[in-house]
Amino acid sequence: MTAAQATGNRVIGAMKVSLSWLNGWTIGTVFISMLALMPIAAVIFLSFTPTDDIWSHLTETVLPLYVSTTLMLMVGVGFGTLIIGVGTAWLVSMFRFPGKRIFEWALILPMAMPAYVIAYLYTDVLEYAGPVQGLLRDLFGWTTKRDYWFPEIRSLGGAISMMTLVLYPYVYLLSRAAFMEQSICVVDASRALGRGPYQSFFLVSFPLARPAIIIGVSLVLMETLNDFGTVDFFAVSTFTLGIYDVWLNMNNIAGAAQLATVLLIFVMVLVFAERYARRKKRYYHTTTTYKALPKYLLEGKMKAVAFVACALPIIFGFLFPAGILVGYSFIHYETAMNAEFLGNALNSFILSSVAAVLAVAIGVFMAYGVRLRNERLLKIMARLASLGYAVPGSVLAVGVMVTLGAIDNGIDGFMLDSFGISTGLLFSGTIAAVTFGYLVRFLALSFGSVEASLEKVTPHMDGASRSLGHGAFSTLRKVHLPLIRGSILTASMLVFVDCMKELPLTVILRPFNFNTLATFVHQYASDEQLGEASLAALSIVGFGILPVIVLSLAITKSRPGSRLGEQV
Amino acid sequence: MGGLHIFGLSHSYGSHKVLDNVGLMIPAGELVCMLGPSGCGKSTLLRLAGGLEKVQDGTVVINGVTVGDSKIHLNPEHRHIGLMFQDYALFPHLNIIENVTFGLFGMTSVKAHARAMQMLDQVSMTSHKDKYPHMLSGGQQQRVALARALAPEPKLLLLDEPFSGLDTNMRQKIREETLNVLKQSGVATLMVTHDPEEAMFMADRIKVMGSNGRILQAGRPHEIYYHPRHELVAKLFGMMNMFKGVVADGRVETPLGSVATDLDDGEQAQVLVRPEGVIIEANGNGRGSLVEVTSSHLLGHDNIVRVRLNKGEGDELYVRVHHTFEVELKKNLTVRIDPEYAFVFPFEEELKLTKMDKPELNEAQVSAAAAE
Repeated sequence: MTAAQATGNRVIGAMKVSLSWLNGWTIGTVFISMLALMPIAAVIFLSFTPTDDIWSHLTETVLPLYVSTTLMLMVGVGFGTLIIGVGTAWLVSMFRFPGKRIFEWALILPMAMPAYVIAYLYTDVLEYAGPVQGLLRDLFGWTTKRDYWFPEIRSLGGAISMMTLVLYPYVYLLSRAAFMEQSICVVDASRALGRGPYQSFFLVSFPLARPAIIIGVSLVLMETLNDFGTVDFFAVSTFTLGIYDVWLNMNNIAGAAQLATVLLIFVMVLVFAERYARRKKRYYHTTTTYKALPKYLLEGKMKAVAFVACALPIIFGFLFPAGILVGYSFIHYETAMNAEFLGNALNSFILSSVAAVLAVAIGVFMAYGVRLRNERLLKIMARLASLGYAVPGSVLAVGVMVTLGAIDNGIDGFMLDSFGISTGLLFSGTIAAVTFGYLVRFLALSFGSVEASLEKVTPHMDGASRSLGHGAFSTLRKVHLPLIRGSILTASMLVFVDCMKELPLTVILRPFNFNTLATFVHQYASDEQLGEASLAALSIVGFGILPVIVLSLAITKSRPGSRLGEQV
Repeated sequence: MGGLHIFGLSHSYGSHKVLDNVGLMIPAGELVCMLGPSGCGKSTLLRLAGGLEKVQDGTVVINGVTVGDSKIHLNPEHRHIGLMFQDYALFPHLNIIENVTFGLFGMTSVKAHARAMQMLDQVSMTSHKDKYPHMLSGGQQQRVALARALAPEPKLLLLDEPFSGLDTNMRQKIREETLNVLKQSGVATLMVTHDPEEAMFMADRIKVMGSNGRILQAGRPHEIYYHPRHELVAKLFGMMNMFKGVVADGRVETPLGSVATDLDDGEQAQVLVRPEGVIIEANGNGRGSLVEVTSSHLLGHDNIVRVRLNKGEGDELYVRVHHTFEVELKKNLTVRIDPEYAFVFPFEEELKLTKMDKPELNEAQVSAAAAE
């Protein structure tokens, strides 16, 4: 063999290897996207299967109720979070008043509280037999329920309050970031043109921050649709609850799928609103030079008003319920600290860790695949695969159930035909099903974080590494992974914590007699045994604090012009 | 056959053609510069040569091996090339020595380290070997990037606007150093730039590219400057005086005298004269046209002077004169053309619209030039 031939062979060998690698990324990305889309597709497909005319039955009976309740819940939570989120963000970013520096980060603390946990806590405190009403009765000498009026916590209004209290930080974070991004020049210009600070807010700051606020509220409403624990406990007939009811109590999966499809329409509206706002956001930057917003010093009465306005959401959304939770945990420590709690904690921990690691690994794989190939098809596939974050857990659960059922049946049929072995249900009703559900729902979180931080790595880095002889995989390992390590850690943490809190998917997909901390809390709290569940609830809140701390650090370090809050 | 060979390369993004049948040959040890406006396909050419993008039509051969055509695509890591970017693209998580050894594998780490140190020595950066990229100045980063690209002894070096991130003073120094290192290494180099001066300084040969993706002219720097074969090539180097006319007896008449041309008689023509091609004289014993000075700006080693023909009644001209020539004091100034700096091209209206076309010199440009 001549030297030239040898070179030629070597070259061709290398070429084959490199081509197959590239195909590997593409095929992998497409495959994962298909897998992630299957549950959603299954729900839609299933809803078109005619069954016992359930549709007309649903329309006649519960559907109008589900629609109106869900809409009212969305409107309530949307307005509540809008007012609290934007209001507090405006106060801390425009004014100086006592406690402002603490409020800046403390206002996101309620994020650590799952809505269902504070729902149980407030019910315990505010219900007829609870300490508040008891105290009122003692004070005023009332004896029965008929003697006085007290708001019923287990109601639509209660659900709106609970969700508003824990979800407003989304709006707060995004609008605060938007206010910080606004150059003071525009506010100054408005003041110079004769508008006062309050007028300037409504005429300039608020309209400029509008896209960010829309994104925040859309995220809040997606979370609202996803909620299961609160509405179940309060018996508020939303879609999410309806799906659960039709499926598990009426044992009608097609009906559940039909409800889920209607819910998907709600979701689609939100997704479009969010995407539209994100696109529009770019055009709302009027100047590129940022100057720290000089804070207007508040005086006298206004100082107190601002202080109270910022303190109340923190107190009711975090300090008070967390305090009660800690208290209960102390009181019920003996009963709560048992093998069952530890077992559930271990389940939660393992399940969430596995899901976090897988979600981040898949996220890295897909984001890098999209970067390598830079093809429209791949980008679209990846976008579709991250739709799961918008889809309520109960809908995904139906889809996962159906998808895995079909896969199980397929394998079983194939094995039976070929080898005469029945494999039965391999995935359905197993931890694998729960993990799959988590991945579909939280893939967007990891993919989004990884993609955003990969985008900050200039393509010249790829070019430099590749030209120096490193292949696609080696470049990922040696250049990209070290560079994006921080956001990989953040992404794993976010997925981990969200899995810890996750309730509707877990409740529906978990194996028989399998509990996580969240399902355990749900089960005990529903039976009004909050004491026994207090330690588990406290653990969930404790883990939920982790991302809040990271965000808080970012907030205290953030400067005007930085893009904090974008990753939410 | 060593170096880089490119045959009939064409490339489009959607319906926009950025490369149109481009050919190129760079033997080992030679530096060829692609010069063109931003947005022309010159960077695409570099990406295709480096394998960062797939060839649509045409052939890329490196060191005798076809590495890219419409069917074959060899990834960059298998091409034995060096690549250097405008932003240097040093790996921020690796220190300087780790950056330089990044491409040195398949050898013992002792050997790799020795080779890296040798390269760092060539660019006088050994004392910085343990620092991280962010601790270095732009010029130092550029040197490290060069050392890193050359360390694995590539057959071909691709430079993408390698000096545009540097300030003016640093640029000249680094250019000279880079040129020295490249000549020592004997690597074939393809450099892409939009800066004509840089191309003139660095290149053995220049290929001027138009915004239509075609090569307008190829040649040694001297040829490009003194014998532009295309209007746009002539205009690359900045301000030009333009006169329109009709060819008669193989010459075009201008207010400054006539210029010889190969164009056919009766054809519409334009005469482009570089500012240094207008000779300004005091008491020019009636040979040129009388002019009046409207402004004069000292640029350093020379002046840029604006004059009006016909005693201040006619067209304005731009003249570059040595700084010792104090125009303000002179009376009866006359101007004439130095034929070496005057070029005749057919007059075509549509060419005016291409991106390469520099607008006629205006007030702002003169003051900008004066400010430099």
